[in-house]
This record gives sequence, C-alpha cells and structure tokens, in this order.
Amino acid sequence: MKCDEINAWLDALLSEINEIEVTRKSERRVRVDVPASSLPALLELLKGKASYVHLSAISCVDWPDDEEFELVYHCWSYEAKSLLSAHTRIPRNSSEEFAHYVSVYDIYKPAAFFERDIYEMFGVYFESSPYMEKFILTEWNGPPPMRKDFNAEAYVNDTFSWADYHPQWLQDIEEEGGGIAIRPEDIRL
Amino acid sequence: MSKLGNIPVNAQDGKKRTNPLAGVFDELVQFCQSRSMFMLHYCTGCGAIELPPAMTSRFDMERLGIQPMVTPRQADILLVTGYVSVKTLKRVILTYEQMQSPKYVIGICSCTVNGGMYWQSYATAKVLNEYLPVDVYIAGCMPRPEAVIEGMRRLMRNIEDGKGNAWKDYFQRYDYYLGNQQHLFGNDWQTPTDIIGEARHYGLESEETYGEHTKILEQHQQPLEPYKMRIKL
Repeated sequence: MKCDEINAWLDALLSEINEIEVTRKSERRVRVDVPASSLPALLELLKGKASYVHLSAISCVDWPDDEEFELVYHCWSYEAKSLLSAHTRIPRNSSEEFAHYVSVYDIYKPAAFFERDIYEMFGVYFESSPYMEKFILTEWNGPPPMRKDFNAEAYVNDTFSWADYHPQWLQDIEEEGGGIAIRPEDIRL
Repeated sequence: MSKLGNIPVNAQDGKKRTNPLAGVFDELVQFCQSRSMFMLHYCTGCGAIELPPAMTSRFDMERLGIQPMVTPRQADILLVTGYVSVKTLKRVILTYEQMQSPKYVIGICSCTVNGGMYWQSYATAKVLNEYLPVDVYIAGCMPRPEAVIEGMRRLMRNIEDGKGNAWKDYFQRYDYYLGNQQHLFGNDWQTPTDIIGEARHYGLESEETYGEHTKILEQHQQPLEPYKMRIKL
C-alpha cells in the first residue's frame, strides 16, 4: 500500500535527524518533538522529500511555568493522508518585550498568516516574515491578550461597567404571561 | 420639522386640550409609524439565526408590518443581534448615526444586555446602552422567534403610546454617549456624522449635549469634506 510505503520512508528519514523524538500516535498521526534550531530543516525535508506539502496551521501554547512558548506546526500530506505535528519550544523572554523565532515563510507560504496571528496574540516575533502588522485586533493597544499572564478579567473590570440587575423586570414579564416558566407537560426527561 | 423637540409627543397625559383635534394628528402619525417598520438587522452574533424563522413563513413578522431593509438610510430599527466586539461597535455606531430619525435600537440576546457568555472577554463591549440609546432589550440566549416578535410588539406599543423616544436621548445626552465611546476608541474618535449639528437642526440640544467629551472631539475633529468621485481606470 502506498500509504505504508511513505510511512516507512518517513520513519527512515526522521531517524537521520539528530535530537529528534518521533511518536507515532496512529497510522496517520505523527508527533515530532524537535529542538528549535533544527525545525526549519525538518520542515524543508518534510516538504521536499516526504510529500508534506500543506501547512494547515501553526499553533502556539504558552507555558509560563517553564518560561517557554511551544510552537506546533501541523503539516498534512495528501499522498500519505496523514498529519504530522512538529512541536518545538522557544524561550519566553518575559524580560524583553517579544520572544523571537525564525519564519518559515520561505518553505510554506501560508505561514505568513499564522505567524502574523501568533505575533498579535502571543507576541512571538518571527524574523523575516513578510508582514507583521496588526491582523484582527486592529483596535487593540494592550499586551498580547492570549498570553497566560494577561489577566482578562481584571482588564474587563477596569475597562467596562456592568448593567444593574433588577429582579422586578422578571416579575413584570411573568405577570404579562411571559418569562422562563416551563409548563409541566412540556418538560422532556 | 425643525422644532421636533417642541412637538408634544405624548398625547395621553390625561390633560384636556383646548383643541380636541390637536392630538389626533400626532396619534395618527404614531399609529402609522408603528405599523410600518423597516429593520436593519446588524447580525453580529448567534442571535441572527432566530431572525430567518421570525421573518419567513412560520412566524411571519411581515404581518406586523416589520420588514428587512438593506440600507441604514431607509431603516427605522437597528437590530443588534448578539455580542458586539469593540471593533464591531465602531461600525454599529457609524450605522446608527446614518439612520434617519426617528430611529430605534433593539438589542437581542444576553450579550447586548450585559456581555452574556462573553462577560470575561477583553474584546467585547458589555452594555450596549452605554454607547447607543437602546429602546428594547430582548433577553435570552438566544430568544425564540416568539420572544423576538413580542419584543417588536413592545416597541410598536411604545411608539404608539409616544414612549419610543430613545433616539432623542442620543442628541440630548450626546456628551455621555460620546464619553463612553471615547473611553473605548481613544480620544481621536470621530464619526462622519455631525451629531451636534443634527441636534441643533432638530432643536433637541440640551445642556448635556455639550460637555468635556465634545470639547475633546472639537480638538481632534477633522473638517468633513465631501468624498470625491473618481473613476479608476
């Protein structure tokens, strides 16, 4: 079967790279843990030699206790029909303003969008990414909001105010025959 | 119509008028207004999913005279159907200010009342009536089409009784609304509509139309110029 052939080829390929940890979760799902320095080389190999031509997403995970960001590159192969996720960890640099990593735009073009999004949400700056302007949060001037150390609840309490609750309103509605009461025959168990 | 504020809108205040026909015209206008409502549904959140059944054959809002309208300049009701993010709120305000008076705002779903399930979110505005004068809130997550229609009928009753005057509040207390808008969007926030000029035109300005926030607006205000028509070849 073609799929098996590619998988065998992939395992042989991955075994040649140093400092790499391959976990085959199922026939079509591979997890690769790779140090940050060799991730671009791995992606280059995957695209050029192992048919993983589609970068479907880059996700970012914040690990504040380890002082690290985890970047996950999800690559899809149409021929092997399998998803490979390459995990790497970069230092969080909480003293500086941004964490830094290198862009993979020269290997996968769609990476530009994902990197721009991660820069906006987590503050990870990707060197040599083509366009790192604001993407979705064009009105936002605060810290990157999806970092764990951003306290959204405190920000909301500082910025917004709340409507008062008046129980009388509910009674008014019920007197008019409305409200949230459910008739006994309508209750479905 | 230049002195709209001086026209007594509430004709049923119990006082006997000298001219028995004085209130008839007002009541007729209010009756007709409440029976012909064009609504602009600004479908921001999930509540919009309840509007197609409310408008189409099952619940049929058109029998009450409520129809969808495609442009804010010809609409009477602005229907905000769900959470309003800060980015969207700018567009909602721009849309609202383009509508012609008298105009009404209905907030559907819990999110417009108090943030709803997005109460913790940094990106959504919580209480809609801090930024726009809201006539009727329809609470629920989400309200069924019956509730939507009930809310509409409540608005129709308000208009008929002369109580649907929230749009005047936007002119009369513009400083309050502008202050809340500036709090979110920054001090250089400016819309292309000249609200103070409109308030003056309708005769609806009051002491609270002006204030510290309108002074900030005057400092940052760029003069409004007509948009140049260009044909791009």
